[in-house]
Amino acid sequence: MAGARPRVLVITPDFPPAKGGIQILSHRAVSSFTTLEPTVATVGHPDAASFDRTQAYRIERSRDWPGKNRWSNFALNAAAIGLALRERPDVVLSTHIVASPAAVLLRRHLGIPFVQYVYAKELGVRPNLARFAGMRADRVLAVSRYTHELLVALGVPGGRVTVINPGVDVPAEAPTDRPPGGRPTVLTIARLEDRYKGHDVILRALPLVRAEVPDVRWRVVGGGPLRATLEDRVQALGLAKAVQFLGSVSNEARDEELAHADVFCMVSRLPAAGFAGEGFGIVYLEANAYGLPVVAGGVGGATDAVVHGETGLLVDPQDHVAVADALVTLLRDRDLAGRLARGGRERAHRFTWEAMGARVESELLSVIR
Amino acid sequence: MNAAQVHRGPDDDGTYKDPAGRIALGARRLSIIDVEGGHQPLTNEDGTIWAILNGEIYNSLVLQERLRARGHRFRSGTDTETLVHLYEDYQDDLVHALRGMFAFAIWDEVRGRLLLARDRFGEKPLFVHRHDRGLSFASEISALLDAYPRAPDLDLESMDMYMVLGYVPGPRTIIKGIEQLPPGQLLTWDAREDVVATKRYWAARRSALAGPESVAELTAETTRLLKRSVAATLVSDVPVGVFLSGGVDSTLVTAMVAEATPRVPQTFTVGYDVGEVSELAEARLVAERLGTEHHELVIDQADVARRVPAVLAELDQPLADPAVIPVHAVSELARRHVTVVIGGEGADELFGGYPRYRWLIRSTQLKRVLPERYAAVGARALSFPPFGTHAARLADVIAPQTTLERHLDWVTAHRRHARGGIYGPAMSDRAFSDVSLISLATHLDGFHGELGVDAFMQLDQRHWLPDDVLYKVDRAGMLNSVEIRAPYLARELAEFANSVRAATHLAGYGKKLLRNALNAYFPNERARRRKTAFRVPGAQWLRGPLYPILEDQLAWGTAVREGFIDGDSLRRTMSEHAGGKDRTSILWPVMALGLWLDRFVGRT
Repeated sequence: MAGARPRVLVITPDFPPAKGGIQILSHRAVSSFTTLEPTVATVGHPDAASFDRTQAYRIERSRDWPGKNRWSNFALNAAAIGLALRERPDVVLSTHIVASPAAVLLRRHLGIPFVQYVYAKELGVRPNLARFAGMRADRVLAVSRYTHELLVALGVPGGRVTVINPGVDVPAEAPTDRPPGGRPTVLTIARLEDRYKGHDVILRALPLVRAEVPDVRWRVVGGGPLRATLEDRVQALGLAKAVQFLGSVSNEARDEELAHADVFCMVSRLPAAGFAGEGFGIVYLEANAYGLPVVAGGVGGATDAVVHGETGLLVDPQDHVAVADALVTLLRDRDLAGRLARGGRERAHRFTWEAMGARVESELLSVIR
Repeated sequence: MNAAQVHRGPDDDGTYKDPAGRIALGARRLSIIDVEGGHQPLTNEDGTIWAILNGEIYNSLVLQERLRARGHRFRSGTDTETLVHLYEDYQDDLVHALRGMFAFAIWDEVRGRLLLARDRFGEKPLFVHRHDRGLSFASEISALLDAYPRAPDLDLESMDMYMVLGYVPGPRTIIKGIEQLPPGQLLTWDAREDVVATKRYWAARRSALAGPESVAELTAETTRLLKRSVAATLVSDVPVGVFLSGGVDSTLVTAMVAEATPRVPQTFTVGYDVGEVSELAEARLVAERLGTEHHELVIDQADVARRVPAVLAELDQPLADPAVIPVHAVSELARRHVTVVIGGEGADELFGGYPRYRWLIRSTQLKRVLPERYAAVGARALSFPPFGTHAARLADVIAPQTTLERHLDWVTAHRRHARGGIYGPAMSDRAFSDVSLISLATHLDGFHGELGVDAFMQLDQRHWLPDDVLYKVDRAGMLNSVEIRAPYLARELAEFANSVRAATHLAGYGKKLLRNALNAYFPNERARRRKTAFRVPGAQWLRGPLYPILEDQLAWGTAVREGFIDGDSLRRTMSEHAGGKDRTSILWPVMALGLWLDRFVGRT
């Protein structure tokens, strides 16, 4: 069909209405394509019908077995192959390495080029699959420079990897200055699931922060299996009045927390050898977009998300005294905090999903033969 | 007071007196970091804050760098000076910045207030005596006794607890009126009002994640944290050695030390000329594999006859753990080559190394299916001698009693029930006291209802670890002027270990994560080493070189003369032991108490 738009098949196990960072990234990238005509192959979801109806492109859903990822992934790969055989797309985008087997088969037998998106955590969990996908893809998109390094360490040629950071939604109206007189508030937003996110280190830092900023409080958004253990430690340290665990909250409540905090802090560290950690940390940009200076660990993907001295402070995420120092500095030195907040907000504006989607699209177009 | 502690710090001596006469601080120093400039007590720029420190702050250099950036000026660069400046910024909360093993005092002249602090697990001792002229404190009881206004009284309740547990549990001591500051606590003394207050700033707490986690990831995290801790404990201006028993804990630490230093590490092991428990061969094998400069010592019968009475009498308080002897001997050996040694203390308590944890799980399973009536009969039957020790264990398991009592009886070989038989008239009315059980129960906060493995791991970390294990190691090391550092007790590692499910720790032979971590260094052999460090052929010694000591105790020892121990019962127990029945669990505590009492009474 001469003159028709080139078509891309997007294979992804993570797509809205399911929640999560990769889901948002996949959806926003695909939604901003202007030249390519996308079809999305993803897994089923109870609320899929109403969501899918509002999208401008076709979404095919394979069967989902909740709690049985292996089965769901197998079904997704099989369905994607079936779809490709019928529709013969010009290029394939796999947004998670678990979708790469289908993409590799389509490339080998039908000659359809494919592009693989890579984050970080999955490289540690499934290094062999990551190498498999990385070695066979025509292009690999890494979410950060750190992910680029991880891929090279796995043996993927660096020249085949392009770094494309994710985007961020900036609130329509710029948040005004914090209401004066409130308690100095440190905010963390992360699932209480992965130890490397560094809640333990913030907790160790808190007594030192309190020694210099007596009425400080730490609000923790996110739920998960670590919560009870952290709560126990809060009790043991006598910090019950200074720490609030809010659990997992609605988007509105989350935005409300962002609007009322003074500092955003998440000191993700590199987990132990062989496990990957923070790929980028969109949440840092979100906090910046809400006018918050951030404190982050100076390792991994966060070094792409945060610019030390411009949008926040990067510290040694294993050193709780350094974390305490950074928090005290930002809570006390309002000039510095304001400068970083402004710098952060400006920088967050540059990370639009439209720009990110355009870069993904141009990479896809570049591999079409 | 200072002269009584020369062995703790042979290298230097210093004192400070407050101009208003409110306080006097004294320190003896074993020079390890900044060997030249570390005179104590130390003060800040204007002389308003004074500090003395016993121990080591591992992150001192990092803290100093940060304090300098905040405008503090350092003169000597010692750990003690770090404390002074940290106090200026954080006051009492400075403890939260510290990694290390420490007991320290900070005198704030402006506020007229003294702050005492002890490290999180109680690696360093701190004794306090409250009296009508204020408060005295020291690293050793003997230093406090020098300043005692009158002849000190023995605390017989503490002595009874010692006879049950084998150690005197804090905050008590064997002396009336002297207390220990518990691990993880602060004490403040307001000199103007003469008011004392204590505060807990940290406590070991088992609180495991609800769901299962990837063992590979947990192993990697264990390795990361332990490496970090080993590196921190190696910060030192002097050569460092490692105690190597050939077991999992010490082998893993030795491998990490070898990896972290350019120098060839020196390793030290003891063995015995009797019994089956010599660790020499295993340790030698590991030393060869890791290429360390290895030193060994064989404790022979003549050495036992000399060393045991000397060491047991030198201790501040009676201690019935025979492992103090090999630790003393290996410290003496190490002192000829190094002043700082890395040990494996804490690994068993934090990573589930004791077989009793796995027995406990079996017992709860068994009790669920066995009706109580049959269990009681079975327990009786199994406890008869011909069945041996495993049957005795099983008897404990099914006997109808509380889990706490069962735990106590396991770890103390039933001395709770046997002690009445050996007590003399001065102690006999205490033979049925439950104070030891109550002391244990005070550390079970956070647990309700039927107690499980988590409760007992926490209990061991708070009760047995500070008052037996760490007390033993500190004294045995300090008597030889050797500092023993325990990388397993790093706060981050401990908090991590306590957040891992007991089932994970206890898989296989226990210490699952440490065994897995060790596999990275010895990939071709399965780490199945079962033993724990520095076991002692106590039963053989009590039949051989130590028998004359027991005879002396019987003939003119203070314990029998003062009626704490009954002479006839002791004689009977001794002849049973000589005749082949193992009575070590009674005879050793009695001997250790007797030797300690003889010296204590001799000096007062």
